[in-house]
Amino acid sequence: MGVDHRKAAVFGGALALRLLLLVLFPSLPDLLTGRVEVSTPVTSFKRLQEGLFLYTRNVSPYDGGVFHQAPLLLPLFSLLPNAQSFPLPTAVFYSLIDLVNANALATISDSGQAVSGRFYSALRKHIRWDGVSIAAWFLFNPFTVATCLGRSTGVFITTGILYSFSSAVTGNSLNAMLALGFASYLSIYPALLFIPLVLLCYDQRAQKAKAPSGVVSFALQHFAIFLICIAGLLGVSILLIGDFYTFISATYGFQLLVPDLTPNVGLWWYFFIEIFDSFREFFLGVFWLHLAAYMGGLTVRLRRQPLFVLTSLLGIFAIFKPYPSISDASLYFALLPLYRHLFPLMRYTFFAISALLYATLLGPAFYHLWIYAGSGNANFFYAITLVWSLGLSILLADTIFAALRDEWEHDNPELRGKEVRQV
Amino acid sequence: MATPAALPPLPFNPSRVRSYVLRLPLFTRLVLLAILVFWLLEFQTMWSVVQWGSVIPEEAGFGTMYRLNTYPFIHLGFFHALLNVLALTPLLERFEAEHGTLTAVALFIGPLSTLPAGIYILVEKFVLHRNTAVVGSSIWVFLLLGSEAIRTFKSNPYFSLGTTKIPTWTSPLFACALVSILVPNTSFLGHLSAILVGYLLGLGFLKIFVPPEKVLRWIEGKLNLLGRLPHYVSVDQKTYGRYGVLPTTTTGGERGTPMSFLGSSQRLGPTTTAVIRKLRNNPHFLFVHLPHILSFICIVAGVVWLLLLPLNDYSRQTYISENALLPGQVHAYFSGSEQHIFRGYKKELEDVLAGQTEDGQERRNDEFTPAVSDKIQSILKATGLKFATQNYEYTSSGITHQGQNVYSIIQAPRGDATEAIVLVAAWKTVDDELNLNGVTLALTLARYFKRWSLWSKDIIFLFPPDSKAGTQAWIDAYHDMQPAFVQPLPLKSGALQGGLVIEYPFDHRFESLHILHDGVNGQLPNLDLFNTAVSITGGQMGIGTNLQEMWDHDDSYEMRLETIMRGMVKQGFGYATGPHSSFMPYHIDAITLQTKGDGWQDEMALGRTVESLCRSLNNLLEHLHQSFFFYLLMQTNRFVSIGTYLPSAMLIAGNFTIMAITLWLRTGYYPGNQQSPQASKSTKEQAATATDKRDDKQSPAQPDANNIIERQLALPLTLVVGLHLLGLIPLYIFNNISHKYYPTATYTSILANLILPLLLAAILSHGLNPKPQQYLLIKSFSLLILGLFLSTLATLNFSLSFMIGLLCAPLSFVNRINPHTNSCLLRYILATLGLALLNVLSPSVVLLAACKYFGVDVETVLTQAAFGWDVWGVWTQVVVWCVWWPAWVSGCALVGFSLFSS
Repeated sequence: MGVDHRKAAVFGGALALRLLLLVLFPSLPDLLTGRVEVSTPVTSFKRLQEGLFLYTRNVSPYDGGVFHQAPLLLPLFSLLPNAQSFPLPTAVFYSLIDLVNANALATISDSGQAVSGRFYSALRKHIRWDGVSIAAWFLFNPFTVATCLGRSTGVFITTGILYSFSSAVTGNSLNAMLALGFASYLSIYPALLFIPLVLLCYDQRAQKAKAPSGVVSFALQHFAIFLICIAGLLGVSILLIGDFYTFISATYGFQLLVPDLTPNVGLWWYFFIEIFDSFREFFLGVFWLHLAAYMGGLTVRLRRQPLFVLTSLLGIFAIFKPYPSISDASLYFALLPLYRHLFPLMRYTFFAISALLYATLLGPAFYHLWIYAGSGNANFFYAITLVWSLGLSILLADTIFAALRDEWEHDNPELRGKEVRQV
Repeated sequence: MATPAALPPLPFNPSRVRSYVLRLPLFTRLVLLAILVFWLLEFQTMWSVVQWGSVIPEEAGFGTMYRLNTYPFIHLGFFHALLNVLALTPLLERFEAEHGTLTAVALFIGPLSTLPAGIYILVEKFVLHRNTAVVGSSIWVFLLLGSEAIRTFKSNPYFSLGTTKIPTWTSPLFACALVSILVPNTSFLGHLSAILVGYLLGLGFLKIFVPPEKVLRWIEGKLNLLGRLPHYVSVDQKTYGRYGVLPTTTTGGERGTPMSFLGSSQRLGPTTTAVIRKLRNNPHFLFVHLPHILSFICIVAGVVWLLLLPLNDYSRQTYISENALLPGQVHAYFSGSEQHIFRGYKKELEDVLAGQTEDGQERRNDEFTPAVSDKIQSILKATGLKFATQNYEYTSSGITHQGQNVYSIIQAPRGDATEAIVLVAAWKTVDDELNLNGVTLALTLARYFKRWSLWSKDIIFLFPPDSKAGTQAWIDAYHDMQPAFVQPLPLKSGALQGGLVIEYPFDHRFESLHILHDGVNGQLPNLDLFNTAVSITGGQMGIGTNLQEMWDHDDSYEMRLETIMRGMVKQGFGYATGPHSSFMPYHIDAITLQTKGDGWQDEMALGRTVESLCRSLNNLLEHLHQSFFFYLLMQTNRFVSIGTYLPSAMLIAGNFTIMAITLWLRTGYYPGNQQSPQASKSTKEQAATATDKRDDKQSPAQPDANNIIERQLALPLTLVVGLHLLGLIPLYIFNNISHKYYPTATYTSILANLILPLLLAAILSHGLNPKPQQYLLIKSFSLLILGLFLSTLATLNFSLSFMIGLLCAPLSFVNRINPHTNSCLLRYILATLGLALLNVLSPSVVLLAACKYFGVDVETVLTQAAFGWDVWGVWTQVVVWCVWWPAWVSGCALVGFSLFSS
């Protein structure tokens, strides 16, 4: 029961913090909603409200080209009172979503899948935080708080992803597929997590009891479930919207073709502003291919740690997605402490964190100089998003290095603690 | 075999290159170093290295003999230096390896530089009667090539091209000719004389200059050069015999592989250079002293950088970037009959003022009463302009500021009301004087401008009652950002393109115009606006201009520096220096023109200046954006731009980051003598109990597989973050209490600053008993955050970042004094001294000292600051209380820990 007390305290504290911030600074949510670091065209709460307005007046929400989010969010949000006049219910709702996410994280952590799986058991598995600490780390991360207060709809994608992970590590592969289907329905890119997730489910199943028939048929079965889930959600959406083509082109088409180049913390917008239009399709393909390419390589190389592959892929998405925001980074940061046992092996944590801190401070400053003071220009902000991505990349590369090193030490016990050089 | 083939072939293997470079003998290294140093020296502009050290035939004399030795080290640029270094290194290295370091020194410092130079001077001066200066080590390159060629000639006299046999000794001549053709600005004659001396050297005629071996041996033995100098090539270790004994075929046979002579310097350090090895062997220096040195250098460099800025080489002449402005290109017609109008308006306003006095007040009442407001409105109405009023009321530190703005709009005959220019004439100037002439002039100009048909932008005339709050209320309401107690504007125009404020607070004629340009939070107007004003007043109207209250600016270094400093102080404090400052946050460029002195310029001259300025602004096709927004002005026509001055603040901010990073590394990699004996003992015990288990790493100070010590972050993180949040409390207090309590609050905060760090130190050291590592981590995090904030701030408000960086500089160097290396008494004395010093630099004490220095009241300053926070949106307080103060408290607490450590 002691743990439950702690958990209750952490969750209560996180809820209280969010509501306290809302009460103390009533203008904070609107400020954060307007920040490009928090809200992207595909997750912005402002745009959601616009869609909601059209939806409640029986106009297609995709008219006007502002709203680009999944239609199922609309009936959900139309149940809540207007966020402009009554901000509290929405804030409570988002805070609860955060708590739900934190709960999923705690489940993932408590399963111990991060340190020992079917094929692999980390050397330093005694160095770890318990689920409550990891949940607290997630809940009190300023990025998570900012995302929550900024009411970005990215939190629902986070929920889908975290729940698919937590179902997978507890052996509930059906729920994992459904949750991943939900996340992929909201935004396309979580579908890339399918293969490592199926492997995780398969390992879990194989570890638990009887070995399933074969990995291929297992994967195919689950792929079917995944597809059915998405098809079902799309079906409901078509019932809601009616016009299939408009809906698809305004949501998935928008996410795939990246027509809105509003600045964000990612790398795409500046590139596609600068590029000549004739090369646009080519580079769109290249960028997407690049994003997708990591999945195969990481899955093969780190086959023994599928959860780590999933975590690293989330880090890669946070860097290379077309519309990334700090909510993606916060999801990656949420999963990192699961690998607390790798921290002693990491080499550049301080530099990566310093770079991220610098970017966090300089980003808004340069955005201000560019947009408000008029004394800077787009290059200022883009330079900072480069630094931000660099920080994330260093962190990512460093964790992958640490994981590989851990595997290597596991395989070569006689060389533990020796300096090795890759040639 | 041609000469170049006798050289070691380019080793493409990187590891070979590395080992080659690492094995370079001493003299070669020194020469390369000297070349590098001289090349770096050429970057400064105070002292022309080339002029100093080159061989100039005309200047040959006894006083300039040194040139004969210095010229080979000096180069004309990067590529000159690089190419020569690339050519020289293998040759010189080989020479030194063959003949020993001492011989090489003796020859190259002596005859091998002076002889070619001498020949060159003789020929150039007395034969050719020219005076071309030469520099560069190519002299040595060709000299050595010449001697190598002779050697090759002895073993391999000819190479044949078809039937012709070409003697190999000519190869340097070909090379010389080729270089003269291909590379511009090379001295053919210089190279030729070098080759000549090289031949002499190769043929052994220069033997006489070589010091006898006995002497060399004696020197070497007496001074123990071999033991003292790294990479020294001894007399005995040289590859070949005494100089003059040219390599015979047998010795040549030894040199089978081109690099085999490298073996001769086997004794020289096995792999790494001495410096790196030394550093590695001395982690205490690497982790403890080096960062302090680096940080200190950063701070000094930052300050020196700033001091260099007023020099001509680092500042620039101002210029107009925006072509549309065309300053002073139009004739200003405001004159003659308008003066009568001016007098008439002035009389009317004076009558109103006189009427106010008759109402019973004993002294002249110059308040902006409703009667004045009505009079201004009636004049505007009579002119036929649209006008409106706006009431506002601000309350700050218990003082209420209220008033009524009157403004009117001239609608542009040729515009579509999408753009506007603002002319502001406040009833009270910045110094709280009655601005009667200014207001009257603005009214006259309103009437005058109304009759022109050339305006393409609306012109707004604004008459606020004071220079502090009125403009702010108006501009906020113009953008619908006004607080509840400020009325919205009933009448509006388009986007504001520029603002001008007129101040003419006295009755006599004026001499010059003083231009104010600093905005709130250190924002500045576009430099083009300032330049236009200077160009029109100075160039077109012939009126002098001043800035930053520098009345007798003689353009000397000191005056320039003082102007910059005054500008930086204003920018750093971030308060509004005039009504124009309120425009800046909305990205509207504005300046104030103040009349100063007693001269012969009248109100008409000021009117024409304003007219011309308005005409220039009227020309604008787009918002002012061309010129600089970040600059430091040192004179009305000289400035430094951000690229030049920013490094100085960044260096100072960087010093904190350097320290933070090295402290972080130190906590992980180098326990050093920071580890108290008890701690290391307990670590050993733990290690003993947990030898065969792998959970050694869990014990905090235990190095793990990678020799990284696990860090305990919870306490340092909580402390540092907590202190930053704690800063909100003084921030709230100093902005919200009544103005009467400000002095009390200041003294209380000094007392609190004295106690709080000690209290923190006492509680933490007795309650939690932190490890030595955690003290370092506290400092690391605190400095990291300080560095982060200051470098971010430097991009927004350079001066504030610079000033706070300087005031925080000691925080890089204060530490907890280790209880185990110092005696108790000494520790107490040192800690008390440190605390006393730090307390002198606490925010509150600095505030008091600054007030004393400038001779102002603390209460006034703090009331003004709170007003700035409430009305203008000044952010300086946030920086002081949430960046500077927390860092300062953690620094003090660190020193305080040394008083309490057991």
